[in-house]
Amino acid sequence: MTRNRRVAVASPQTRLDMSRRRSGVRVAMPHLAPADLERARRTHRLQLRRAVATLALLALLIIGLPAVLAAFPVLDDVRVAGIPVGWIAVAVVPYAFLVVLAGWQLRRAERAEDS
Amino acid sequence: MIAGAILLVVVVTMVIGARGVAAMRTTSDFLVASRRISPTLNAAAVSGEYLSAASFLGVAGLMVKDGVGALWYPVGFAAGYIAMLTLVAAPMRRTGALTVPDFAEARLGSPALRKLSALVVLVIATLYVVPQFKAAGMVLTAVAGTPYWVGVVVAGAAVSVTLALGGMRAATYVQAFQFGLKMLLFVAPAIWLLLQVGADTRRGALSPVEFTRFSHVTPVEFQLDTQLTITEPTPVAIGGGPEQVLAPGTYPVEAGATWTFPTGSSVPEVAGAQRPGGETWARPLLDPGGAGHPVLATWSVLIATVLGTMGLPHIIVRFHTSSDGRGARRTAAITVGLLSVFYLFPAVYGLLGAVLLPELYLSGATDTVVVALPARVDGGWAGFLVTALLSAGAFAAFLATSLGLLLALSGAVSHDLLPGTTLRRLRLTTLGTAAIVVALALPAVHLDVGVLVTSGFAVAASTFCPLLVLGIWWARLTARGAVVGMVVGLVASAGSIAIDLFAGTPPGLVSILFGQPALWSVPLAFATMVLVSLRGRPPAWAPAAMLRLHLDERRP
Repeated sequence: MTRNRRVAVASPQTRLDMSRRRSGVRVAMPHLAPADLERARRTHRLQLRRAVATLALLALLIIGLPAVLAAFPVLDDVRVAGIPVGWIAVAVVPYAFLVVLAGWQLRRAERAEDS
Repeated sequence: MIAGAILLVVVVTMVIGARGVAAMRTTSDFLVASRRISPTLNAAAVSGEYLSAASFLGVAGLMVKDGVGALWYPVGFAAGYIAMLTLVAAPMRRTGALTVPDFAEARLGSPALRKLSALVVLVIATLYVVPQFKAAGMVLTAVAGTPYWVGVVVAGAAVSVTLALGGMRAATYVQAFQFGLKMLLFVAPAIWLLLQVGADTRRGALSPVEFTRFSHVTPVEFQLDTQLTITEPTPVAIGGGPEQVLAPGTYPVEAGATWTFPTGSSVPEVAGAQRPGGETWARPLLDPGGAGHPVLATWSVLIATVLGTMGLPHIIVRFHTSSDGRGARRTAAITVGLLSVFYLFPAVYGLLGAVLLPELYLSGATDTVVVALPARVDGGWAGFLVTALLSAGAFAAFLATSLGLLLALSGAVSHDLLPGTTLRRLRLTTLGTAAIVVALALPAVHLDVGVLVTSGFAVAASTFCPLLVLGIWWARLTARGAVVGMVVGLVASAGSIAIDLFAGTPPGLVSILFGQPALWSVPLAFATMVLVSLRGRPPAWAPAAMLRLHLDERRP
């Protein structure tokens, strides 16, 4: 078995950047074949629409829930299993919501890619 | 006995460090691994790197200090991965970029933007890593009774030794193992505490009463210079002296002093803090220091944490170990699930801490509530054992995040800011950075871990978030727009945080706008980037550079 020499791991961009600094040559800028370009445009539009829907639901949680808790302090006095509802709303509910939202967005984003 | 706990922590540190060395023998191991690792394992590694001392200790500490509203911090920490999943994970992986400076180069082809991004990495990583060292110092202080500076220096030495042994970077399964370790060392003690405290304490934790009278003889060892206000004649023994009765008035207390309050005496008020258990304390909204704008403060913290996560330099590099864009997206989605389980538990420590150790609000050591609880509940060997487990977990959290951040920091310095790179210089830079961070952590003792970490998130949300989101989704973004927008976001966020830290701000609305600037600095940065870009013309290849990030790697 041979001993491998350790080398620095760099990303493709860093390697490009470093070689460019040495040689002073600019690398070719990205381009897409016309068929790919059309497909990419479609996917981009579809993904953007789906992302906006997910972000709107996320905003509902992080903007809406604090506003609701501020508007209805009575939620602190209502108790479920001895725990104030206002506390459950910040300690448990958001995580259940986030897990469902993550699964939903993942499925829709993958389907948008497959179509 | 205490020495045993410290020894355990150090041994655990060494074991983790040694596993790191074993795992990163060669470069090809790292590169090949990137093609084999499943999204689940990778998500565990992301979570392992992400769960820092701020999550392990800071959230529960903030809860004792600021109230139930502090639970919004972990909600933001977890929700950040929804933003990551939706907007960044897959396209970012497809650029092949390891860091944000890399991304700037790949998408906009501007070396100046690369340098500016590296500078922003420095600011974010410093704001994030200094409180990690502070937390490590506080834990060692609480467990071993050493002065704070000894704790910070020992923590710095532990990091340096681990780095000298080879670091624990580049090894996904080590970070994944770290996640399992932290999960176990956080959840098991929480359940043990809940069973051990008895039904009365559990009921008391759910119906908190304001901490106005000491329920038992309580020695308070002040960690900070504190201004106490006494409203009724209060008996107290200062520094082991005889008991004396203090008249109502204001008393300065120096850090290091010990005051012992007898049973039933009234609890003094601390300037700029509210007593645990009161009415405002129990409200599920953030109102630090009673500034009076709980909704604004909560929103600001949430915007910073949700939008800042995607710009954290030590996290973004982890997504590169996914095999492709889809893998990166799955990793982000699974990470949401893993973090959601972990973040159910800081509330346990916070609620029990507010009932059993409310005096931490006086001593200024609320960040140590997690490791202080077991000894309060059980004075015997079981309590000691659980303290040792929690200290080990907190130290593991500190190490995982600090090592990642220090390497990101020194990577930015030696890759992006200085020309040419060698492995030796990378390592020297890392050790130098560790020394600087120790020096910065020493005067940071009075800052809350969770708050300072959130400042790091606020800077990331005001700089890298607009760059990544617009860069990935908007073809008209120009390099000039990105530069101007990032400078504006950096100056607005880091500038107002610096003013709040060093010059101080009057309490109320102003202190929220400066202390937690994300609410206005993020929209400002986005608007600047869009407006400046609209005034210029993107190069002809810009649409292709953006659209290729949305193409699935597999041909249809």
